[in-house]
Amino acid sequence: MLAVRDLHKTVVVGFRRRKVDILNGVDLEVRDGEVFGLLGPNGAGKTTTLKVVLGLMRPTSGSVELGVDGLGELGYLPENPYFYDYLTGREFLRFCARLFSLDAHECDTRITAILADVGLERAAGVQLRKFSKGMLQRIGIAQALINEPRFVLLDEPMTGLDPIGRVEVKEIIQRLHERGTTVLFNSHILADVAALCTRIAIMRGGRVIWQGAVDDALASDPHGDLESFFMEVVRS
Amino acid sequence: MKRVAAVAVNTFRETIRDRILGVIILFALAMIVASLWLASISLGQEDRMIKDFGLVAISLFGLIVAAFVAASLVRKEVERRTVFIIFSKPVSRNEFIWGKFLGLASTMFTVLAGMTVFLFLLAWLVAKSPSGELLLAGLLIYLQLLVVMAMTMLFSTMTSAILASVWGVCVYAAGQLSHNVLSLSRTGHTEVAHALSTVVFYLVPNLSAVDLRAAVVGEGATSWPHLVAWCVYLVAYIVIALMAATWIFRRKEF
Repeated sequence: MLAVRDLHKTVVVGFRRRKVDILNGVDLEVRDGEVFGLLGPNGAGKTTTLKVVLGLMRPTSGSVELGVDGLGELGYLPENPYFYDYLTGREFLRFCARLFSLDAHECDTRITAILADVGLERAAGVQLRKFSKGMLQRIGIAQALINEPRFVLLDEPMTGLDPIGRVEVKEIIQRLHERGTTVLFNSHILADVAALCTRIAIMRGGRVIWQGAVDDALASDPHGDLESFFMEVVRS
Repeated sequence: MKRVAAVAVNTFRETIRDRILGVIILFALAMIVASLWLASISLGQEDRMIKDFGLVAISLFGLIVAAFVAASLVRKEVERRTVFIIFSKPVSRNEFIWGKFLGLASTMFTVLAGMTVFLFLLAWLVAKSPSGELLLAGLLIYLQLLVVMAMTMLFSTMTSAILASVWGVCVYAAGQLSHNVLSLSRTGHTEVAHALSTVVFYLVPNLSAVDLRAAVVGEGATSWPHLVAWCVYLVAYIVIALMAATWIFRRKEF
């Protein structure tokens, strides 16, 4: 589904135009139909990797092979998403659906189904500026799924959510997995990663330092705990 | 084309519902109504005062919308990171820039049409002198402001929103004066000054060429072939400005 090979990204910062390497040769493989967790401390390069995959950033070198037919089969939820204040939930989703050139009837059918899926049917006519953080996260997931994508990338989908919101987002990811959608997500909440993912990759300093099945990670840790495994890998 | 329309409709909805726009329109209507007071103390020049002052008010408040809203149109999407949502879908930078422009152009049309019709009714009811040229003058102010919008959007892809607004206002001012610059240079003594002002004349959009205020108040005749030619020139100017904005925006990473 996704093969990232030796990905490098260098950016120029500051008045003196200092070069900073954000990605230092990322190798990553996400298989069809799996829920894949991308882990790492802040600044490890997780979000940059996703942006390069989506074409929001150009790689300095390396390659990205997507097993889908362009952005039309992808869904993406950015970290801390911000939407259009004065649009209602339904208007926003219609806007997103129109970007995939869907016709009006198909738009309405999908919007109704997705609003039910993310539990926002009753808030469909409310302007987004009146949405809570959890509702915004759910409308963000809804826009990522409006095109019925085969591959979904979620950047920190559980951040800032209360326990109920987290459970709801986890249920959505679980349902996507059951439908055969491939899901790649970033998260700092390792308990969620352990519960949802089949495989994970751990990044540090702009490269992947460990990649494999969650079961293997748990088996190789003396405590059988993903958090303790993660700390050991990152510190080693 | 569907994607351009989607971005345009979204931009129209966002801008037309913005409270700031409502405040600007209220001020503009108040200014137009204020022309009634000026008309009452103008000793037999009511018709002229209402139309002249009204058209200036429309231009001024239209300019505020064109320069300040257009400057934040693209930058706001980048700063609030809504571009992540848009460009993770099959939308090109070209479609995005044209959609944003057409959306704001629709908002601007709605605002200017409302204000021009209001002024037309005022001229009709108070001064008893409705004129079709007044409506045409409103339409040409719209064209002038579209040029300012396109140039401001171009500047906003290169600099901050505030600076882009300032540059947008400068383009408007220079566009109103460019013809005078050329006329003045012809009376000058040096070839360099003449060449320089000719370059400025062709580089800056000649907005004064489609200014019908004088004709509306009966101080000049309209040359239709010239007017049409200048309109085509300004439309070409808009297209080139937006193509340049797209070219710059295409190189940006988010």
